[in-house]
Amino acid sequence: MMTGCRAAAEGAKSAEVEVICSFPIRPYTAIMMELAKMVANGELNAEFIHGEGEHAQLSVVLGASAAGARAYTGSSGVGVTYAMEIYSPMAGGRYPAQMSIADRTLDPPGDFGSEHTDAMSTRDQGWLLGWACSPQEVYDNTLMSYRIGEDHRVMLPQMVCQDGYFISHIPDKVTLGETSQVKEFLPPYRPISPLSLTNPVSHGPQIRPDQGAPMDAMRAQTFLAIPKVIEEATADFARIFGRKYDPFVEQYRLADADIAFFIMGAHSNTARAAVDKLRKEGVKAGMARLRWVRPWPTHQLAEALGHVKAVGVVETSTSYGGAMRGGNLIHELRASLYDLDDRPLVTSFMGGLGGETIWPADFDYMAGVLSKMVKEKRTDRYVYWLGM
Amino acid sequence: MPAFDYNFQKLEPIKSFKAVPEAEQYLPGHRTCAGCGPALNYRLVAKAAGKDTIFIGPTGCMYVANASYLCTPYAVSWIHAQITNAGAVASGIEAAFKIAARKGRHTGPFPNIIVMAGDGGSVDIGLQAMSGMMYRNHKVLFICYDNESYANTGIQTSPTTPYGAATTFTPPGKEIPEGKTLFPKNVPQLVIGGHPAVKYVATTTIAHPLDLMNKVRKALSKPGPTFLHILCPCPKGWLFDEKLTPDMAKLAVETGMWSNYEWEDGVYKYTNVPKKYLPVGDYMKPQGRFAHLKPEHIAKMQAFVDEKIKQVQRPIPVAAAVPVKKLA
Ligand SMILES: Cc1ncc(C[n+]2csc(CCOP(=O)(O)OP(=O)(O)O)c2C)c(N)n1
Ligand code: SF4
Ligand SMILES: [Mg+2]
Repeated sequence: MMTGCRAAAEGAKSAEVEVICSFPIRPYTAIMMELAKMVANGELNAEFIHGEGEHAQLSVVLGASAAGARAYTGSSGVGVTYAMEIYSPMAGGRYPAQMSIADRTLDPPGDFGSEHTDAMSTRDQGWLLGWACSPQEVYDNTLMSYRIGEDHRVMLPQMVCQDGYFISHIPDKVTLGETSQVKEFLPPYRPISPLSLTNPVSHGPQIRPDQGAPMDAMRAQTFLAIPKVIEEATADFARIFGRKYDPFVEQYRLADADIAFFIMGAHSNTARAAVDKLRKEGVKAGMARLRWVRPWPTHQLAEALGHVKAVGVVETSTSYGGAMRGGNLIHELRASLYDLDDRPLVTSFMGGLGGETIWPADFDYMAGVLSKMVKEKRTDRYVYWLGM
Repeated sequence: MPAFDYNFQKLEPIKSFKAVPEAEQYLPGHRTCAGCGPALNYRLVAKAAGKDTIFIGPTGCMYVANASYLCTPYAVSWIHAQITNAGAVASGIEAAFKIAARKGRHTGPFPNIIVMAGDGGSVDIGLQAMSGMMYRNHKVLFICYDNESYANTGIQTSPTTPYGAATTFTPPGKEIPEGKTLFPKNVPQLVIGGHPAVKYVATTTIAHPLDLMNKVRKALSKPGPTFLHILCPCPKGWLFDEKLTPDMAKLAVETGMWSNYEWEDGVYKYTNVPKKYLPVGDYMKPQGRFAHLKPEHIAKMQAFVDEKIKQVQRPIPVAAAVPVKKLA
């Protein structure tokens, strides 16, 4: 049994990370506390650097990655946003370091609880961005993300997210990989043109405006190529470790569902139980759980949810003033379904904000709203605020 | 466990101009202004450091006017850093080479890792990252090439811009006749006073090329973090005739606006101390940035300089001088 934080640290250890940069902020701190012990005990041969802030954490791993080391960092909440300047140089420089996030509400008000707005606010910076829903998946995503990010078809930094406390601090069963399994799955980091004395290179010079669009297009192109790499890595992972994931969207009792919850992270565990209960009551409910926000699995979602009559997006992040007046995921989900001839009705439920629990009763309430939408063949609200 | 031998470089001092290495590591083809002090400085630093070097270049003139895509002037490896984070990027690079050396992936000399940061990128917006790197004892030479302004964005005031200078953020006007009203930060003391891991700090100017190159070499031969503060006149920002760049640096020393010194293991050594200081007006006169000043402003500057030069030749008290041997 171990917490999500411990699982992340074990993942980093299995990946034999070489440069680690820490700064304290709850709840992700526990990852660094574990790694600090491993380095101090000689279990992990790595440089453990105490950054002077999250901006420095990312800058340190950027430098380390540019010089050819597998690098690891992490943060939570305002720590994630404090580092904002460095996300785009990391992605633009194609430095495939990893950042482990235990989500935390942004200030104000001061709050330790999980909310996805911290990591979600980096989603346009060019990183791979994925969410786990259990300590086991945290460990697995740590390895899978390095494998995908360091693939020469990708070469991008990765954010491995887990909900603060719900995942980061509640112990669950985790099976760690054998050294031989990890070796087979994750080859050593092979930088393409690292800073070197024998082969001098320049990283990050200024461009002319006319060189901008082609570079942006190349990065966009890369994101089109990533899904295949994710599929390969997920399949290889299943073969080597025996744990099988849907590469992009976990589909739970979705095949014949009339209504579905669209969700990511910790609360999906409650959603699964809620679906089982609803099914017993004769409601054809299902769940789609998002594993990657970037790259966003547009077509996979259309395929998974296209036949459903009404989808309720469970939002755990805020987009104040956004098109749907509530969270983030509904925008991209609606866009993903738009081209279907017969598309589902979609609404959203703001839940789990400030680290609040989304209770089984909340799912019953959401199912009621969705069933009513199906019956009336319409939705008159983009967003419902749970518990209010 | 015996300490791992990282094979840090030891660079011999350059005895005379004849002995200066011919090889250039900072090549022509950049787009700096004619008479650019920081560009001249880059050339001297790179020459002294030699080929086994990696530069970290935070945003500023020495990035923007130098590094164009597919055509950069650096013959050695170079990486752009943000104006904010050069010290941290350098820390990561150093750590990567350390672990690579320990794992046997990197063999040969440990690179000279040099940050080439402007005054803004070192002691203002870059201060936190610089301080963190020094505190953590990374083997990095951090150079502040001081052109006394945020030059690249169009000459705005920075914490090293002198009192009385006109910049685009301190234009002289009816209400504020002297332009800049504040006095600058004491850059080397900022490093010396607060970073026990730093054992070598020196100041110099582009008008003292041999001194400059030897200070670079000495700094690079230390096993830990080191710092150089180098005066690099900027004709565009200071508004002087571009052929006078070295003269401006020389005048700065001759008037006491600037002093060349070394601080090594707690001991100060001053060089180029004039027998008799020239009045600061001699330095200010050729520079358009001071053209608006009235005699009372120049008198204020003279009083500031008079106070400053009292320190010359005398050790400056340091908050926490740490004996070298004990730390090693
Ligand atoms: C975070 C951030 N803020 C502002 C800028 C804009 N900027 C670009 S160059 C520059 C001036 C840098 O000044 P300095 O470090 O002294 O170098 P110089 O240009 O004088 O050589 C500034 C402020 C930036 N690039 N990044
Ligand atoms: S503005 Fe000054 S520092 Fe910048 S390129 Fe011109 S002379 Fe050099
Ligand atoms: Mg400057």
